[in-house]
Amino acid sequence: MATEQFHFILIDDSKLDCFIGEKIIVGSGRAVSCHTFMSTSAAFEHIQNSSVDAHRTIILVDIQMPLMTGFDFIEHFEKNIPEPKQSTYIINLLTSSVNQNDMIQSQRYKSVNAFLNKPIKKDVLIDLMDKLNS
Amino acid sequence: MDTTEKIKVLYIDDESNNLFGFKAAFRTEYNILLANSATEGKALLQQHPDTHVIFCDQRMPDITGTQFFEDIASEYPDPVRILITGFTDVAAVVDSINKGQVFRYLTKPYQQEEIHAAIEQAYKYYMTGFMLRKKNEELQKANEDLDKFAYSVTHDIRGPILSILGALEIMKQTQSMEELHSICNMMEESALQVNDLIVNIHAYYSLQRGTIEIEEIDFKNLCQELAELHNIQLALANIKLTITVQQVETYHNSRVLLHLIINNLLSNAIKYQKDAEVNKFVNLSVQVNNGIATIKVADNGIGIETKYLDKIFNMFFRASESSTGSGFGLYNVKDALLKLKGDILVCSEIGKGSEFVITLPGK
Repeated sequence: MATEQFHFILIDDSKLDCFIGEKIIVGSGRAVSCHTFMSTSAAFEHIQNSSVDAHRTIILVDIQMPLMTGFDFIEHFEKNIPEPKQSTYIINLLTSSVNQNDMIQSQRYKSVNAFLNKPIKKDVLIDLMDKLNS
Repeated sequence: MDTTEKIKVLYIDDESNNLFGFKAAFRTEYNILLANSATEGKALLQQHPDTHVIFCDQRMPDITGTQFFEDIASEYPDPVRILITGFTDVAAVVDSINKGQVFRYLTKPYQQEEIHAAIEQAYKYYMTGFMLRKKNEELQKANEDLDKFAYSVTHDIRGPILSILGALEIMKQTQSMEELHSICNMMEESALQVNDLIVNIHAYYSLQRGTIEIEEIDFKNLCQELAELHNIQLALANIKLTITVQQVETYHNSRVLLHLIINNLLSNAIKYQKDAEVNKFVNLSVQVNNGIATIKVADNGIGIETKYLDKIFNMFFRASESSTGSGFGLYNVKDALLKLKGDILVCSEIGKGSEFVITLPGK
């Protein structure tokens, strides 16, 4: 079986982090597409307007976003994106400091797949995709 | 607490004679409240939750003194409770003292000196407990603030540094000069962001710990100095800064804090401009009238959504998605104004611009 390819959505308010993230994602060789957004609302709009195809989408969202935080985004996503579309997205949280409270809060949302430390590393990303495959 | 304030004593007894006798003996020294039933006592406590000492007779027709103390203990934990009993009740009282609901008891008939000593002793006990609780509350709040602070600071400082490290990794494998150049620009932005945050944290700590030095303020001179700090940014972004100062009288205040306040508002007005706007402007005006300075900073920038207006002064709040702010600037402004007993008002319309108006009485 060929390794699965994914769409990617990266949400981070730092231009540099978006740039680095995109490099890593594209460099993994397993991205069908990669969209970066500096605001959660723009990313949400994109998700709402895109249609489902053969590939699942991996979302990487920074927790500490202004206005709509990463957690707000997930809440908004779970509430407004209908099934079965919702399950074609795999949401992962990005943080530069893993915090116990964040961990606890993330358990409240069924659509959180994993916590990733910033900056995103290629092997971590590939490991994440492999786990989704099996 | 004001130490010159009289000790507030509530005396509950179903015999009016005892009540009046008590008041007559102690009213010059203490602030005496009288109740001739438990119900009345509770009503008085509701009005005077700051009561220091409560005396209650054990034998009353509706409920006993020990029951009364048991009833009020959870709602009014602060007042020190003293039971007045006849000799025969002593055995029944021991239990309630052991439960911690009664501080001590006095037996009837009592001597004035006994009451006197009991009140003084109880008040000391009250103050110790009261201060301890107060300090504990303050400490708890300080700890919570510190947690929040540490969390945000680690995120906000570590974030950009990690980004820069990540970018360096990519640079090592990049050949294109053009791309290297654009990575450098982004790295610079991240480095400036950390620097900005650290400057603001420093300002925050000076505000919290520093003493305020009052000096004569020449607003013209202060505004000029502030404008010079922003000259380069103003020129780069093509923003017209207009300064008007009307000051004929002398005015005294903290120059350091005024500098911090106006500088933050100016930086914001410059930072949050609309890229597409052709006639970008920032107006800074100061008027000093009857010892009160009115400082206005207005711009035609991106504006602030109405629903965020009451949050913009909160620590770490950022009201703009495009913002690279630290979420610290306006918090410091508000804090500084609180210290100087000044006021700030904000009018803003999204897409049109913002105006901040400060009124600050001189010292």
